[in-house]
Formats: sequence, C-alpha cells, structure tokens
Amino acid sequence: MADDDTARVAWDLLPAYALDAVDDLERRAVERLLGSDPQARRALDEYRDVVAAFTVDEAPPAHLRGEVLARVARTSQTAPRGPVTAPARPPRRRRALVAALAAAAAVAVAVPTTIAVREHGETVRLEAQADRVAQMLADPDARLVTGPIAGGGEATALVSGDDVLVSAAGMPDPGEGHDWQLWVVAGGSPESAGLMPAATGGVSRALVEGGAGEVVAVTLEPEGGSEQPTTDPVVALET
Amino acid sequence: MLRQTVLVPPPTTTPVDAALVACADGDPTTFGPVYDALAPVAYGTSLGVLRDPDHAAEVTQEVMVEVWQTAARFDPARASARTWVVTLARRRAVDRVRAEQSRRHRDQRDLDTTVAGAPRDVVADDVERRLEGAAVRRCLESLTPTQREAVVEAYYGGRTYREVAERLGAGLPTIKSRIRDGLGRLRDCLGVARG
Repeated sequence: MADDDTARVAWDLLPAYALDAVDDLERRAVERLLGSDPQARRALDEYRDVVAAFTVDEAPPAHLRGEVLARVARTSQTAPRGPVTAPARPPRRRRALVAALAAAAAVAVAVPTTIAVREHGETVRLEAQADRVAQMLADPDARLVTGPIAGGGEATALVSGDDVLVSAAGMPDPGEGHDWQLWVVAGGSPESAGLMPAATGGVSRALVEGGAGEVVAVTLEPEGGSEQPTTDPVVALET
Repeated sequence: MLRQTVLVPPPTTTPVDAALVACADGDPTTFGPVYDALAPVAYGTSLGVLRDPDHAAEVTQEVMVEVWQTAARFDPARASARTWVVTLARRRAVDRVRAEQSRRHRDQRDLDTTVAGAPRDVVADDVERRLEGAAVRRCLESLTPTQREAVVEAYYGGRTYREVAERLGAGLPTIKSRIRDGLGRLRDCLGVARG
C-alpha cells in the first residue's frame, strides 16, 4: 500500500481511534500518522473532546482516595525530558541485536502503557522478532521513555523485560555516506547495537535485545557504522 | 438538517488544568486536589466502559497513579485535564475489556457472553438516562438514528467498529462513516474547536 493510501486510511480511522474502537494494528497505523501529521493530532484532540463530553462523573468508592494517595507518595514521576547519564554499573556481556521490524508490528510514538494484543481476528505474518514485539506490546509493566532527537524528531523506548523497542519519529536523514547507529551504553562503554533501519512512515524502529536498564543512544556514523561512536549522540534514552 | 450549537467550551486553562500542571513538580502533597477533581472523571469513564464497579475502581486507581506519574506529559494546549483523563481511562478500560475477551477466548468458555456484562439495550437506555440534561444529549439527538446507534455502540463496552458492524448487521464502510459523520456532527454541535 502506498504511503498516501496508508495515511488516508489512518485519517479515516481517527474518529474510531478517538473512541478506542479500532484494533491494535489499526491503532498503530493511526499512531504512525499522528507521529508525523500535526493536523491529524489536532483533529484527534477535537474528537477526544467530543468523547470526553460523554463522560458523566461518578463518585468513586471512598477508600480509593487513600489508596491512590499512598501509591502516589511512593511513586516517582516520569521525567518527559532531561539530561541522560549512563547508570554506574559494571559492563556485562549481552546480546545486542537489532532487527528491522515489519511495520505492522512496530510501535509508534504515542504508545499507551498497555496494549492488549488480540489473539484472533487478525493474522499477520511477521518476522521472528515480531513475537517478542507482540509480547512487549502486551506487557502491562512495559515502560516508556521518550527524548528529543537533536536536529528534530523524538525517540521513544518501550522497555519490557530485558528488551527495548526503540522508535525514532521524524529523525533527519543521515545524509549521503552516513548512517544512524544505535549503541547500548553500560557503565560508560558503548557497544554497537547496529544501524537504525530505514524509516517507514517517518518512523524508524529497532528491537534492542538485552538493552533494558542501560542507556540506548544514537549517533551519526560513516556508512556501515563504526566500532565506537565517533560523534556525540543525537539522543540518549535511559531505559 | 438544523445545526445546533448548545455549548461552547473554549480551550482555555481551568484551575484543574493548572493544578495538574503544577503537580508535575514532584510534590505528592499537591496531588490531593487533583485527585478530588479528576477521580470522578476517571471512575465515570471506566464505569461507562466496564459496567462493573470493582473493575472500574481498579482502573480508576491505575489511571490516577498514571496521571500523577506522567503529569509532565499533560499538555494543556492539546487537551483539558478532563479530556486527558477521559482518554487515559478509556484506553485502560477498553484494554481491560479486550484482555478479558482474549482470556475468555483462550479458556474456550463464555464465548458468547459480553464482557461488559449488561445487555446492550440496557446499556444504551442507561446511557440516555445518565446523560439526561447534559448538552451532549441534545447534540446526540441531532444525529440520525443510525449515526447515534453506531456512536453509542462504539462508545460503550470497548467494542471495535468491526464488532459494532457485526452487531448492527451493517457493512464496515457504512459503520466507519456513521461513526465519522456522527462524531463530526457532535463536534460541531458541541462547539469543539482547537487551533
């Protein structure tokens, strides 16, 4: 399907998306559109206001207040942006494997904290990594870390178990003779996690197995990548 | 068709929006008023989808902790605090419905039961009752019966539009356009405009 068609289909789904009446694959298609089209985001914001108008407030059970405030008191907040430093921990051997993902299995910028992967209705043939990605998307304990990309765009890391699914939306083209290269930085020593695959629908995605708990960074490198980073990272996400 | 405009919520910052923005600074003691203002929104939303007070309470708890945790992501330029919380709560509630459906599917039982528990007609009646007096009710009445039916079916119970189409015995494109036209008309009627 051409990109224009994909975008048109995703536009068409915006109202159903605002109602959460789309399935998971459609959800991701719409989220890819939202990642690249500010007009679509604004249209969605309006539909969401409409959906919110349906809500009739109800007093929750009284005991809930104390429980929530107690959890809040011991829960730290997610910093949306901020400087990233490598966590001080000894380097360890790890499989750092990057795999280009089928677009349908990939996650866009606006990933919710939980996604129920449906087991019926849609059958999509995916690469071997897709099973792992599906598990990650379904993991209710998955965490999201986002950070701006120097020069434009935003990177998101979905952290589930030992693995990290990295999405870079709106990343600038690396230019002739260059590639974007992923690194996992443990204890200050970067280890290559391969090249960022080409973007589809404006978003480039990679699965970094064993990257959880480390800093995942991206640098601009000569075509084919380098042994060690030769430039400053354009983004570094502390996962 | 008569075009009504019954309510104009200007996208300005309310005290709740401001309190939510302020609590992003990391002081948990500032969250009490935010909870008091927004927990009924989260609970009402969850109850609308899940129809079960215990499930709705659990989702409300998760949502309110998420509101605290991700307060820095709230962008008052894009949504009111109310809309933001409705969005978070609906997403979690719908995911719970679907996870439950999926579990039941695995278990090979209860295949024909609706997860939400109540028959749809009862739900729709309840909806109309709950919305009584609300501006959205008057706007709902400005939709065609088929648009209203599609929107209400999609709103309650965490169904996909495919499931709505199956349930209403209509084609997918038909249901998609009824939902789109219905929400579009509601948007105009409610006077929602951003940017």
